Amino acid sequence: MTDSHTGRASPNSAVGARELTKYFDSLLAVDHISFDVEQGELFGFLGPNGAGKTTTIRIFMNLTRPSEGSASVYGMDTVRDTLAVKSVVGIVPEVSNVFPEITALSNLTFTGALYGLGRREGASRAAELLSMFGLEEYSGKKAGQLSLGLKRRLAIAMSMVHRPRVLFLDEPTSGLDVTASRSIREIVRRLNSEGVTFFLTTHNMEEANQLCDRIAVINHGKIIAVDTPERLRQAASEARAIEVTFDRRPTEKEESGLAGIGGISGTAEAGESYRLFTADPESTLRSLFIFMEKHDLRARSVNTPGPTLEDVFVKLTSEEQEVGSSQ
Amino acid sequence: MEAASSEVLLKKPGFVVGARKSWAIAVKDMKIYYFKPAILIFGALFPVTIFFAFMMGRDVKAVTLFPGLIALTLFFSTTTVAPFSIPWERMSRTFERLLFAPVSLTELAVGKTISSFVFGLVMSIVPLLIGVIFFGSSVAYIWALALGIILGNACLSNLGTLVSTVGSETPQNVMLLLNLVRLPMMFISGIFIPINQLPTWGRVISWFSPVSYVVDLLRRGLGFKDYFGPVISSLMLVAFGLAMFALSVLRMKSWNK
Repeated sequence: MTDSHTGRASPNSAVGARELTKYFDSLLAVDHISFDVEQGELFGFLGPNGAGKTTTIRIFMNLTRPSEGSASVYGMDTVRDTLAVKSVVGIVPEVSNVFPEITALSNLTFTGALYGLGRREGASRAAELLSMFGLEEYSGKKAGQLSLGLKRRLAIAMSMVHRPRVLFLDEPTSGLDVTASRSIREIVRRLNSEGVTFFLTTHNMEEANQLCDRIAVINHGKIIAVDTPERLRQAASEARAIEVTFDRRPTEKEESGLAGIGGISGTAEAGESYRLFTADPESTLRSLFIFMEKHDLRARSVNTPGPTLEDVFVKLTSEEQEVGSSQ
Repeated sequence: MEAASSEVLLKKPGFVVGARKSWAIAVKDMKIYYFKPAILIFGALFPVTIFFAFMMGRDVKAVTLFPGLIALTLFFSTTTVAPFSIPWERMSRTFERLLFAPVSLTELAVGKTISSFVFGLVMSIVPLLIGVIFFGSSVAYIWALALGIILGNACLSNLGTLVSTVGSETPQNVMLLLNLVRLPMMFISGIFIPINQLPTWGRVISWFSPVSYVVDLLRRGLGFKDYFGPVISSLMLVAFGLAMFALSVLRMKSWNK
């Protein structure tokens, strides 16, 4: 990906950042981040609220200028070549900022005009997008009257008017119900399969896991890991766990006894189940069964799930905090 | 860099494409804002009410009031649309939609100015027609009248754009600031009292108000004595307009720091 010696983007890079930094007065929002997104890739930017995800996207759209470093799209600098960059990227912000006072169709034709499409060309593209996004029946409806899910679909359609090669999605399913979220994810997958490169920010681990080819984990403005979801999970293999559901609720004394079983580094309740974190599930399982025998507890179910992306995220961010506090 | 396949990238962003983008922004504003109650109240009702409140009971011929009434209507209407639409769109974040697209800030400011210009143009023609049809106003120099209305609207619509970039992001605060600018300007621009009848300090200050030159051209156009003359008035309106436009674009540039 990035040539660490020269700091240059790889030839296949669609989106790149080099030592990108943003201060808001004394607040460091983005802290010297570098990454590359390859053409056709679905790249996730995963982090909690306030981690610097939206600021990064805003830098790519030149809505805010970097304090240090640079951001580029297809080799074009986002500050120096801002209009050329905007010609090849689309953006869907977290808030679907469609014009509520005009119809869905007018929103699309107006956006087309902003990208230099003529009237006939704009109308034809708008009709195509209304059909592609299942918005035909809402064409004449004012955008303000649409549901959140439909507004988000319209916002994505507006971002596609000029057939962008890169699409920035900021928290695409935030605030949407399950059906609308699923519909948005399907749209993202479809467009990605047609060759659109995606840069997607989310704090939803499952969404990142389902959609992304690679994920950058960002916290406090710093990228703390970039890899495929699978490799990130492997990297946190010590965060493996045993998930057990008992036939009755353990007493408080039994609960503290569970935490004291050899090899268990921590416990967590997950509904009726207990999650027992361990680096060595096999030996810990043996100790667990001895403990259950002793306390007359029976297991309704026992699983040894691999670490979830959430486990990875918690591990990585806690490691970062430890490093930060030790410095 | 791989050759970009986006259709738009293949188009050279020339003057015509830029003008089309500005016009699209203007038309969108016309659709959304022209009939908003706030625009109609501050842009149309407000100046007429102020004018009649000030003139009521004064022993003057109605026909002599029309240059001032037209100027006041023009002034208020053309400076209302942008100071409402820009903060409104910034507040609802739809303004970002314009910034997402490959639209330069100059094209954006031109679009906003056109929507103010057209509103002001239509609104200022209404009192002119009323004066001519019902009160016997006569057009002495149509070129001066046309210059006053066209240059006046073009110049003052930039004042509206400029104010909208200086104030906060809420329309209420920007409208408040706008009225803080507009109300004193009303009294030093020859709207109610001709400039040559103002005290010396008033005549000096009137040079700094672009509205003075609008009133001056309208007075000449409707056959009344002017103060600055059409050449100075026209040049001053062009200069004020260009300066305010440039400042507006500079202000907008500072938003993405």
